[in-house]
Amino acid sequence: MAGAPILEARDFVVVRNGKELVRVERFAVQPGEVHVLLGPNGAGKSTLLRALNGLEEATGQLFFDGAPLRNGGDRRRLRRRTAAVFQRPHLLSTTVRGNVESGLRLRGVTGAELRRRTSASLSLLGIADLAERRRDGLSGGEAQRVSIARALAVDPAVVFFDEPLASLDPPTRRSLTADLQSIFAQLATAVLWVTHDTEEALAVADRVTFLSGGRVLQEGPRAEVFNRPATPEVADYLGVDVWLEGTLESGDVGTARFVLAGGASLVCPEAPPGPAFACIHPEDVVLFLSPPREGSTSLRNMIPATVSEIRPQARSRLIVLEWQGGRLQALVTRAACEELDLARHSTVYAAIKAMAVHVVPRGRLPA
Amino acid sequence: MDLILKGLEQAFRLLFGGDRSTYEIALRSLEVSLAALVVSLALGVPLGAAIALNRFPGRRFVVALVNTGMGVPPVVVGLVVALFLWRSGPLGILNLMYTVRAMIIAQVLIALPIVAGLSLAALQQLDTGFRLQIMALGAGQWQTFLLLLREIRVPLLAAVMAAFGGVISEVGAVMIVGGNITGQTQVLTTGIVQRTGMGDFAGAIALSVILIILAFSTNYAMTIIQQRGSRTL
Repeated sequence: MAGAPILEARDFVVVRNGKELVRVERFAVQPGEVHVLLGPNGAGKSTLLRALNGLEEATGQLFFDGAPLRNGGDRRRLRRRTAAVFQRPHLLSTTVRGNVESGLRLRGVTGAELRRRTSASLSLLGIADLAERRRDGLSGGEAQRVSIARALAVDPAVVFFDEPLASLDPPTRRSLTADLQSIFAQLATAVLWVTHDTEEALAVADRVTFLSGGRVLQEGPRAEVFNRPATPEVADYLGVDVWLEGTLESGDVGTARFVLAGGASLVCPEAPPGPAFACIHPEDVVLFLSPPREGSTSLRNMIPATVSEIRPQARSRLIVLEWQGGRLQALVTRAACEELDLARHSTVYAAIKAMAVHVVPRGRLPA
Repeated sequence: MDLILKGLEQAFRLLFGGDRSTYEIALRSLEVSLAALVVSLALGVPLGAAIALNRFPGRRFVVALVNTGMGVPPVVVGLVVALFLWRSGPLGILNLMYTVRAMIIAQVLIALPIVAGLSLAALQQLDTGFRLQIMALGAGQWQTFLLLLREIRVPLLAAVMAAFGGVISEVGAVMIVGGNITGQTQVLTTGIVQRTGMGDFAGAIALSVILIILAFSTNYAMTIIQQRGSRTL
């Protein structure tokens, strides 16, 4: 994304009790974007979020709106321009209105402006009718809405969300996610959102940074990270189950040939020759009972395979296939599975576009 | 039985007949205990907060010291204060022995660990993220401290009541450092001891009734404040 970042960290290291928890060369949040920090539990996501919000000590450089933050005073000024929502709402023991007002009061907003901004934020989150209720009378979802209203009331340049939906039940989570998508679209506020949930990341993210072991493994627009995971670990986490190991060789114009250990090969996009991994999303594999006539399709890969397992999913079927190159998976609808009369040991043809074979040169993998 | 009834009768005559020395003793008791309470709150709450909210080497040892301080017998505190304030002691030059100030110092040392220990425990009960949330709202250190105190106001008032109860009813420390001088350093508890020793049971019962009324009314007022808006489990 073009333009100067609203928040940027360089050579950023967080050490706690002598243990290095996070080491990031560069991390940036652009104005107006929803940037998701995704990764497994213990990856250092929340630690990085707290350090970026000036709530945890870190070494390296931190810039807010282009200006470097050098000391505790600078970090406090950063917190006055940002807001945070944590997994637990942490509401003060007062009314909903009192909570939403609290951030504004701490920033010196009073009188009519205080009332106007509080009411606007309560309405934005759909909790105006709860204004006079006390903390103890709220459900988990309502309390989290109050926490979000409190954060948005201060008109922050960046809002930090640390697993805000993690302790909510699925229906509440879905409704709050939908409302937040609409709110983020209305506001110009940049959002840094920490989650371990890939569906949540898909739902809210413009941009995704994948963190593991305190290191950034991949960073990019949401579609790029989800469609082209940079490492087997990212791919595993995102649900790409099949990783093939082989060698890239030159192919026809604009393509390359990914040759597997057993001699089987796949046509893939052009990339530098050498050892590599390839991943194929189950959604990108199309099944045929007989091969289409040669020259009648743009598909570059047509693989004869045998069904070894059919795994029922909520609305689909995951077909596990065995072929010369090893294992492959195809995700088909329940209806398609029945129409093709798929069963164990059925013979099928798995069709894969060359562009759907995502290749990662082995040199890019972490040691 | 007759002794008790006669004692009670005389006690009510002293109480409602406006006996000056009885009221003087009661007021002195309040003055010493409230002054000690205010000082121990001013020192103990920040001390408890500093221990609860910071990590430093020897923290557990300090917590153990505070907890031990909550159980030290007042008479031992009185002895230590007397050793310091005695004419030949390290602080003898201040000439505080057998004064109301010496009694306040002794009571501060009794109440301080109670206030610090109970504040510390109350703050540790809060979710660790709570402090971060308040800081993330833009609060400075002082604002964070005040907002945290507001969150623990119910256990904090319990600490105030425990500390006040501890000092208004103690006898050993004020007896040692105050000397129980009639008209100067005598308070309700030491007055009760003196009158009982002299066989003046009416006077002792009168002071006891005042002591109980004072303790109850102060605690009742604080309980009303504490329980306002609080919930039952």
